Amino acid sequence: MKKAKIISAVVMSGLLSIATGHASSIKIGFNVPLTGFAAADGKSALNGAELAVEQANAAGGINGDSIVLVVYDDQASPKEAVPIAQKLIEKDEVVAAISGSYSGSTRAAAGIFQEAGVPYIAAYAVHPDITRAGNYVFRTSFVGEVQGRAGAKLIGETLGAKKVSVITLKNDFGKSLAAGLKQAASNYGITIVSEYEYGIKDRQFGPIVSKVKSDKPDAIYATGYFFTAGPLVSQLRAAGITVPIIGQEGYDSQKFIDIAGPAAEGTIITTSLNRDSASSETKNFIREFESKTGNKADMVAASAHTAVKVIVAAMRQSGSTDKAALRNAISATSVVAATGTISFNALGEVRKDVQVQIVKDGNWHEHSVISDSKLLAPPNE
Amino acid sequence: MSYEITLMTTMAISVLFALSLNFITGFCGQISLGHAAFLGAGAYTSAMLSKAAVPFLFTIPAAAICAAMLGAIIGLASLRVRHDFLAITTMGVGFLFVGIIRQQDFFGGEIGIAGIPSSGFGKVGFMLICIALALIFAAFSLYIRRSWMGFVFKSIADNEDVTRVLGIDVSRYKLIAFIIGTGTAGVAGALYAHHFRFVGPDSFGFVESISVLAMVIVGGIGSVWGVIFAAALLSVLPMLVQFIDDYKLLFYSGLLFAMMRFSPDGIAGLCNRLFSSIPRRVPGNSGDKR
Amino acid sequence: MLYLELFIQGLVQGSIYALIALGLTLVYGLLRILHVAHAALFTLGGYIGVIVTNATGSFTLAMLVAMLVVGFAGMLMYKLAYEPLLSQPPYVSLIASIALFIASEEIFRIAFGPYGLSYQIPPLQGHIELFSGFYLKYAEILVMGLSTVLMIALAWLSMRTRTGVAWRATVTDPDMARAFGVKIQNVRYLNFFIGSSFAAAAGVLVALLNNLVEPTMGSVASYKALAIIVLGGLGSIRGTLIASLLLGVLESFGTIYIGHLLDRDAIAFAFLILVLMIRPQGLMGGKL
Repeated sequence: MKKAKIISAVVMSGLLSIATGHASSIKIGFNVPLTGFAAADGKSALNGAELAVEQANAAGGINGDSIVLVVYDDQASPKEAVPIAQKLIEKDEVVAAISGSYSGSTRAAAGIFQEAGVPYIAAYAVHPDITRAGNYVFRTSFVGEVQGRAGAKLIGETLGAKKVSVITLKNDFGKSLAAGLKQAASNYGITIVSEYEYGIKDRQFGPIVSKVKSDKPDAIYATGYFFTAGPLVSQLRAAGITVPIIGQEGYDSQKFIDIAGPAAEGTIITTSLNRDSASSETKNFIREFESKTGNKADMVAASAHTAVKVIVAAMRQSGSTDKAALRNAISATSVVAATGTISFNALGEVRKDVQVQIVKDGNWHEHSVISDSKLLAPPNE
Repeated sequence: MSYEITLMTTMAISVLFALSLNFITGFCGQISLGHAAFLGAGAYTSAMLSKAAVPFLFTIPAAAICAAMLGAIIGLASLRVRHDFLAITTMGVGFLFVGIIRQQDFFGGEIGIAGIPSSGFGKVGFMLICIALALIFAAFSLYIRRSWMGFVFKSIADNEDVTRVLGIDVSRYKLIAFIIGTGTAGVAGALYAHHFRFVGPDSFGFVESISVLAMVIVGGIGSVWGVIFAAALLSVLPMLVQFIDDYKLLFYSGLLFAMMRFSPDGIAGLCNRLFSSIPRRVPGNSGDKR
Repeated sequence: MLYLELFIQGLVQGSIYALIALGLTLVYGLLRILHVAHAALFTLGGYIGVIVTNATGSFTLAMLVAMLVVGFAGMLMYKLAYEPLLSQPPYVSLIASIALFIASEEIFRIAFGPYGLSYQIPPLQGHIELFSGFYLKYAEILVMGLSTVLMIALAWLSMRTRTGVAWRATVTDPDMARAFGVKIQNVRYLNFFIGSSFAAAAGVLVALLNNLVEPTMGSVASYKALAIIVLGGLGSIRGTLIASLLLGVLESFGTIYIGHLLDRDAIAFAFLILVLMIRPQGLMGGKL
């Protein structure tokens, strides 16, 4: 018995030392939904991030050290995200982390990262409180309200619609977008004739569709993700509603078009990825992503890719893996990435143009760009 | 070391939560599929008070009282229904709780409450408080089980009608079980809020209620030691073994199903059967016709 | 006009609930088991419907295949999961059923991917215009039509055939039925077959309405179906039907008018708890 114990102890410690891995790799944490309702977005975001890590390592890593992405599935649930954040910080000891997940989990995790002094970048989560967790938290995409305001300009000015029905997804994503729209609505002559809410599990929108039809709006502003927007748009069109439907980055995926089918034609969204962009960064990303995964690129993949690029650039800049130095480097960064030029204000928010895309012939294409800097100014505190 | 402390704290909170359900379902035989609602009631109470600068320790009794009041109401409602109806009603309570919390911005709505302040005792101190509370309640459970109250509970669990015929005020005892069990869940909730620093409607849904029920059942309904063991193990296993974490739900449900199929009285029952020749009866309602 | 639309939508939704809840109530009436895992069969039906339609282009074939395959799957579930547990207290089969359901959601995710499947060429997407502005999708007409047909078929089966009589006898008094030579085992199999194939039909129809099947599409259905059968009075088929349609319509109006107070799903449970407090045996339930 005793011999067996000694042998197993030796084997265990041997295994442990192997398990601690190469001392010369740099770990970046990544919480992303790989199961649950948000799994499709999560998988896409993960692909985007992995692509960026591969590209960075191929270009020599960080002064010779290779980058390793430490990935955990948070199911887009705040409840899961918190233990994951604790694990990344205490067990894996990452130097920085990225959230490839939705606002709920990002917001919960942000507080943990802030307190531990580990830089954390939200790739595409929209809730304003995320960056308010502290100076270690950044965001590479728009705050919900900003995108909502852009939507107001799009609807009121570009499309010339005056009466709008708002269909809001009952979560932080949907609500912050709707709030932004309502904030800026009067500036563009828009009246909100009605607002309806739905839950993230709903797929049958019969009652709402009927009511909206009777409201006779000039346009519909509907928030949601592809798995709610797909059925919603399809049901709106099937009921005979022909006015423009305006969505946001939650729709930004080929799956939306797959689900809604022909009803998707003409849907307009505000987002960060312009498929027809002239920028070489964006074009490269789209091309590399499609050849790596065989799927079309979407906003979440582009945003995750961007977030990794920002951290890599900052690490090369700061020359060390000291977290405080890294935070400062990120804060001072200015990087051209697939979703635009990224630089942060004092709160850690980014200022960039809003891309407007439309579904044409079964694919997303450029519709217009909104670049009003006053309108799109992110919060500063 | 830091990660181990986090794990121990999570374990202690889960043990406390599972023991609180064991009190209601294990001791008194009242099946509850919505126990997470009481964890949530305690967690939200504690979170909101803490954010309003109430010291952490004072939020604990407040959480317990709030959860227990809710528990009393549910307990009263449960007196009217039994078995299957009770199961569904408690499930409904769980959904209602989440459904209402979701809609009210006062509770943070969909988004929940983030940025809950630290307990003020440091990581180790907080862990010790959690462990202490879990141990206290475990001791209390063991004491009750051997007492007259525990005896009445068991009688109610075995056969409610006979117990009533014996002249015992069944309703009163059921209510007591509910209040103690839910109040303790409230305490666990307060600890939960300050450990995870975040509460939201999704944290206290049906899956949570089933998870804690799984801990009680896998441990062995009514067995204090079994439940402690099962809760401690099941709460941290996903964090230790990555493979299990990825397939967590499948693992838990598979385990639960296997338990029900092969050993409905849980690990405690398994141990009893392995180590003694006296067959252990599954507590439950005898005399059911199929 | 709007109210009429809301009402019809409520009936459509209620018909779907009815198809699902029926299987649940059949199982409860016979075995006193709360068959939560029933929703897994619903989801399975939806997946089969989409896969077969995409593979063969025939929706009708898909519906038939789904109903058949899932009917057998239901029987298998009874044999493997419930039969061994019949001698245990009721909570054992309830927990086992819940565990089975959660496991099945995961298995669907692993087998079919987390993203969900859609019809490549969704059938029956057209609509007819009944009168000014009031549209009714073909799919919606199919839902109501098919449910009615299936219910009538079930009623005919149980009232007018020997099998049906044997079945009802077994529900009322298994020992007596056995004494009369009824093979209880077969009755149970039939019971599960019918309930499960109805659930499959519901799954295929829901997939048609949403053009999306997901691993988790059963979860809402399962809890609601439970609320419905309790509401209707456990074991009462008529009660289940009434409760299903009632809930469908209630939700339809509720989401518009009290949606700001209560989650859509919570409406079902709030209503349920309310009714149970007043009438603990449910709307049509018999003795407690």
